[in-house]
Amino acid sequence: MTKTTKGISRRRVLKGAGAVAGLAVFGTPHIAGAQAKVIKIALPTILSGRVAILGTSSRSAVQLAFNQLNDAGGINGRKFEVVDRDSKGRPDEAAKVTRDLVNNDGCEIVIDGEASSGSFAVHEVVRDLGILCLHTCSETSSLTADPKQFGKNVFRCARQGIHDAVAGGSYAAKIAKEKGLKKWATCSPDYAYGRDNTAEFLQYAKVFEPSIEVVDQLWPKLFAPDYTESITKLLQVKPQAVYSALWGGDLVAFIEQSNLYRLFANTAYFSGGLGDPPILSAIKNLPVGLNTAYRYNKTFPNSPENTAFNDAYVKVAPNEPTNWAWQNYAAAQFIIEALRRTNASTDSSVLAKEIAGMTVKQPFGGSGITMRESDHTIINYPVAWGKTQSKAPWVTDYVDTEWSKILEFEKQWKKEKGYA
Amino acid sequence: MTRSGMLRDAVIAIVALAVLVAIPFVFTKPSLRDFLIYVMAYGLLAMSLNLLVGLTGLVSFGHAAFFVSGAYMFGLLMQSGNVSIPVAMLITVAGTAMLALVIGAICVRLKEIYFSFITLAFQMFIHSIILTWVSLTGGDQGLRGGIPRPPFLGIDLGNSVALYIFCACVFMICIVVMRQIWQSPFGYTLRLIRDNPNRANYLGVDIIRMKLGIFVIAGAMASVAGMLLALFVSGAYPEFGFWTTSGEAIFMIMLGSSQLFIGPIIGAILLRLLEHFVSIYTEYHGLVLGLVILAIVLGLRRGVADFVVEWIERRKAARAPATTEHTACAKEGAL
Repeated sequence: MTKTTKGISRRRVLKGAGAVAGLAVFGTPHIAGAQAKVIKIALPTILSGRVAILGTSSRSAVQLAFNQLNDAGGINGRKFEVVDRDSKGRPDEAAKVTRDLVNNDGCEIVIDGEASSGSFAVHEVVRDLGILCLHTCSETSSLTADPKQFGKNVFRCARQGIHDAVAGGSYAAKIAKEKGLKKWATCSPDYAYGRDNTAEFLQYAKVFEPSIEVVDQLWPKLFAPDYTESITKLLQVKPQAVYSALWGGDLVAFIEQSNLYRLFANTAYFSGGLGDPPILSAIKNLPVGLNTAYRYNKTFPNSPENTAFNDAYVKVAPNEPTNWAWQNYAAAQFIIEALRRTNASTDSSVLAKEIAGMTVKQPFGGSGITMRESDHTIINYPVAWGKTQSKAPWVTDYVDTEWSKILEFEKQWKKEKGYA
Repeated sequence: MTRSGMLRDAVIAIVALAVLVAIPFVFTKPSLRDFLIYVMAYGLLAMSLNLLVGLTGLVSFGHAAFFVSGAYMFGLLMQSGNVSIPVAMLITVAGTAMLALVIGAICVRLKEIYFSFITLAFQMFIHSIILTWVSLTGGDQGLRGGIPRPPFLGIDLGNSVALYIFCACVFMICIVVMRQIWQSPFGYTLRLIRDNPNRANYLGVDIIRMKLGIFVIAGAMASVAGMLLALFVSGAYPEFGFWTTSGEAIFMIMLGSSQLFIGPIIGAILLRLLEHFVSIYTEYHGLVLGLVILAIVLGLRRGVADFVVEWIERRKAARAPATTEHTACAKEGAL
């Protein structure tokens, strides 16, 4: 028996459906790209998983900056839209979504909110595409210090390891001298960042205070849930001070477990990652007097601009600002200033020329943060260290380090590494 | 495999390659090329794994070890600046085959879950080496500085269309090679080992040797997939060799089909399409993907490709009852 269909055949319907699906999948981006009035900013970042706060706080800060600009009328009549995409913390996915944001979504500027290896993946993509990019979360110094990585349209608006090491080492040495802290131990996550960060901190602490002696170094696994073994080892070794490169949820777990063993009763603690308000507020009983690097603080500097930033940020974000938040907000300010100076040009090389060497007054202190022309990285950003207290604003008594001192040691470091 | 079967496969491969090559000229948007290169790399990984899972019944949890080995070997060779791309690819395939030979010689002596776990152990061992040998591999930052693509034989892979066409050609060559294995007497011997190893043993088949052979071939093919991805992202990263990458390849096989030759590539397309579109709209993509996969597993109880093929066969059988038996017999050799 044969079945006949009147009108449109099923095969034709299927063909039509296929064509519509094809158009929906690969055709709509053409339409999106054709909306010339809006300048799209790509934000590939980590929005899921254990370090999602990196991406969510980056996104809130970038959106805040461009929403403020849009509310003020945009630039030259042009408005801005931030298009974010989750890379899931995978470098290959970061490379793919970045290409996709540029090629498919029509983004003309990239703010790279990737951490660590993801930023190197994005770095290759943006060098390949020749698009303007500001890395905002990677703290790995070689990303911009190594001349092989240089890209004329690529910048970093984030703190970096060598600057932190000099500032942290200088601060720790001063305390060590004052309090006679000679026996030091370290407890840092067992991966490249944890080991490099710890080695550099100790290197400069010893430069400024040669009597410092390292009695033990512990390397718990990254994302370990239990630090009892490391804590009991520290109690056995009885160091006078501990440095730790632990961060995020790992650091919260370490401090809470250390509280149970009263580790901080007789041991000074120095941390590069404790200063983020969401981390500080997540610790149930934050011990008083722990030393931490500045990550963000609403009272440092105690200025109306910083208060305004903090108040605007908490209105749009679920948490208080983080280190990544100020870095992304600062990156957006560099881009906005370059767009203003060029009447909203989206030519990457024109914008890059403006950003190189630019100093922008930011809410985060000082006379402004400068994008150094020679290696496209920021200097004169906050590198202070302070001490914890049990209630908001969590960290006080910030002590700044002179940038001239940091730059002097950075110069030597670059020579040692063969970067200069 | 019969001569007509080979001819049919060759024609299908040429047509498929022609379609793939034509795509960038019809749809000029670079994002489609990027998507397809990505799918080809992961599809090749899944298809190479299916030589073990679907064909031989060896469920490897550590197949990404060869994927990452391919990416790093190729990346390091290209960064050395001493070899051209084709030579680097050949050295990488040979090097990874040697690695697979050493690992396989230990693994294939074990069965079932023990085999799965020892492959996982080797993968994590290689992953740890990559993380700790920072001076060579860049540690957890990956192979930095980009992978150079010097022109060879007049082909410049710095051009994105040329890169896409090159990837499509390499991908199709690998598919043809795997198809020949799938349909060869060696492939049928592997099916016998999968279905009834005791019987294969009684028939005089050297099971260990056969398993080792397919383990090495699968590893070599996975290294090609790793190279394609390294070329695409211009880098190699330890995440390529993490257990989740092997898990994704198994996912692709489950989503597509383990018994249909092109099942894993269908799974790769589906998974990547789902991921692509879901991540645009929500960061809770894990939840959405989980629900979709749950629906497929519980609803279809087999891979999507299996379901579609069975549905087509049922339709055909309903139309022509007389030819039902013939079509059912043909399924094993279906594309």
